[in-house]
Amino acid sequence: MSDSTMTNTMLRKNDLKLKIAVYVVSIAIVLLILLPFVLMMAENVLHPETYTMDSTGRLTKIVYNNVSVINSFKNSMLVTVGATFLNVYFSSLTAYAITAYEWKLKTVFSNLITAFMMLPNTIALIGFYQLTWKFHLINNLMMLILPAVATPLTVFFMRMYLQATFSMSIVESGRLDGASEFRIFNQIVLPMLKPAMATQIIFAFVSNWYNTFVPSIILIDDKAKTLALTPSPEWLLVLPPIIVYLICSRFIVEGVALGSVKT
Amino acid sequence: MTNRNNISRHYTKWGYIFVLPFVVIFLAFNFYPLICTIWYAFCDLRRFDNPGPRFLPTIGEPWYRNFQQVFEAVSFRDAFKNTLMFFFATTIPEWLLAFWLAAAITDRRLGIKGKTLYKTAFIFPKLISGSTLSGLLLEHLVMFTASTVGFVYVAAMINGFGFEMQDFKFFFSNRFLVIVVSVIIHFGITFIYAVAGITSIPVEVFEAAEIDGANRPQTFFHITLPCMKPIMFFISVVALVDGLGTSDVPSAFGLFDTLRLCLTMNMYIINQAYMGSYIYDRASAASLILLGLIGIGALVIYFVFIRDKDEAKLRKMIRKEKREAKRLKETA
Repeated sequence: MSDSTMTNTMLRKNDLKLKIAVYVVSIAIVLLILLPFVLMMAENVLHPETYTMDSTGRLTKIVYNNVSVINSFKNSMLVTVGATFLNVYFSSLTAYAITAYEWKLKTVFSNLITAFMMLPNTIALIGFYQLTWKFHLINNLMMLILPAVATPLTVFFMRMYLQATFSMSIVESGRLDGASEFRIFNQIVLPMLKPAMATQIIFAFVSNWYNTFVPSIILIDDKAKTLALTPSPEWLLVLPPIIVYLICSRFIVEGVALGSVKT
Repeated sequence: MTNRNNISRHYTKWGYIFVLPFVVIFLAFNFYPLICTIWYAFCDLRRFDNPGPRFLPTIGEPWYRNFQQVFEAVSFRDAFKNTLMFFFATTIPEWLLAFWLAAAITDRRLGIKGKTLYKTAFIFPKLISGSTLSGLLLEHLVMFTASTVGFVYVAAMINGFGFEMQDFKFFFSNRFLVIVVSVIIHFGITFIYAVAGITSIPVEVFEAAEIDGANRPQTFFHITLPCMKPIMFFISVVALVDGLGTSDVPSAFGLFDTLRLCLTMNMYIINQAYMGSYIYDRASAASLILLGLIGIGALVIYFVFIRDKDEAKLRKMIRKEKREAKRLKETA
C-alpha cells in the first residue's frame, strides 16, 4: 500500500489491457458494419445493373423509370427538408419560450412536453389516418411536413441544451440595443443552439428520408410517392443522409455544456 | 425590483406567441388523433367500407369487447411477451456496450485514437436504415451471428464438453438473431448521446476525482452518471419508446415466422389495421395497451432520473409553512 510506484505500474498495466479491449471491440464493430457496405458499394459501382428475382425464380434486370425517380426524389427532398427545418426551428422556438420567458402555464406546458415525448408514432396513427381520410388529404405532402412543427422529443432536447448554456443577460443586451424579440431569437439564440441543432437535424433528416410507413399509407398516387417508396438506384437513396451527416457532424462540438446542469 | 418585474411582465406575451405554432399543430396532428384512437378502442370500426365509428353499447355489445378480443387472441399474448422479452434482452446489452465504450473512448488517460471513425461507423446503420443496403447489412449481420454460433457449436461438439443440441436451441432461434442484430444496429444512437453527455461534464471534475484517487468504476458510477442525469433521462426515454415500439428488425423475419417467435406489439397493431385486415377498433385497443405499457415504463424512468427527492421534500415543507402562515393569519 505504501509503495506508490508499484500501484502506478499496476495501474498502467490495467490501462494497457483496457486499451487493447476497447480497440479490439470498436474495430470489430467498425469492420462488421462498414466492410459489407464498402463491398456492396464497390459492387454497385462496378456492376451498375441491378437484378431481381421474379416470381418464376429467374433473374431479371431492373430498369428504372427515370421520370418517376426524379419526381419522387423531388418529393422526398421537399418532405424531408421541409419537415426537418420545421422540426428543428419550431422546437428551438418552443424551447426558448419555455426557458426565457415567465408565463403562467409554463411549468404545466413543459411537464406536458415531457409526458408527450413518450408517445410512440404508431399509437396515434389510426386516428391520424382517419383524419387524413376524412378531410380528403390523401396524397397531400403537407400531411407529412406540417406535423413536424410539434415534436416534443426535439423540444425536450433543445430545452435541456438551452437550460445549460443560456443566460438571460444576452437577451437583455439585445433588448437594450433595440432588437425585437423575434430578431433576438433568430440572430442570437439560434446560433447558440448550433451543436444541439446539428444533432437533431441528423436524426430528423434520416428518419424523414427513410420513412416508409406513414407515406405508404397516405400517398397512394404514383406522382406523390417519395423516393423510399419507388424503385430507385441504391446510391441515390443512401447518399443524401450520408452527406447531411458529414456536414452536420462537424458542428457537434465536443465539450458542449449538455447535461452538466440539472433540470 | 418592482420595475424589473414590470419589464418581464411586458415580455410575457412573447412566451405565449412563441409556443402558439407548437400548440396548434400539436392539437391538430397529435392530440386529436390520439383522442380518436382512444375513442375507436370503445367503438365498432371494421372493414374498409365501415359506416363510421359506432359506440359499442349502442349496438348492443359490451364496451370492453375490443379489449376482450385482443386479450383472448393468442397472437397478441405472444406479441406482448415477445415485446417485453426483446426490450430487456436488447436494451441491457446495448447500454452496457454503449456506456462502456463511451466512457473508455472519452477517457483522457487512455487517449484512444480514431473517435470520428468509431462515431461514424456506429451511427452508420441508422444512416442507411430503410434502404435495400440496410436489408443487406442486416442479412450480413445475421449470417455472421449464425455462422459464429454454428462455429462455436461445432467446436463444442468436437471437444465433447457434454453439450447437447438442446443447449444450443436458443442460439439457433430467430429470437437470438433478432437480439444480436438489434443491439448492433441500435447501439450507435445511445453511444452518440452518451458521448455528448460525458464530454459535457467539466474536465476539472474528473481531474479532482483522479487526484483523490478514484479508480475508473468509481469515477463512472459516482461522477459521470450523476453528472449526466438529464441526458440519461433522454436516452432512457428514447430506448423505451424505440424498444417497446420495435418492428424493423423483427419484421425482417416476418414471412417465415409462423410460430410467432418475433411478433412484436407494434407489428401486431400494423397487421390488424393496415395489412389488409382493416380491424381498426381492435388495433386501437392494442395501441392503448402498448401506451399503458410505455406509461408504466415512463413512470419508472421519471422516479429514477427526474424526481429530485430533496426538492420534493423542500416543496412539501414550503407548502406546509404557507398553510401554517395562512392559518395564523386567519386566527389573528
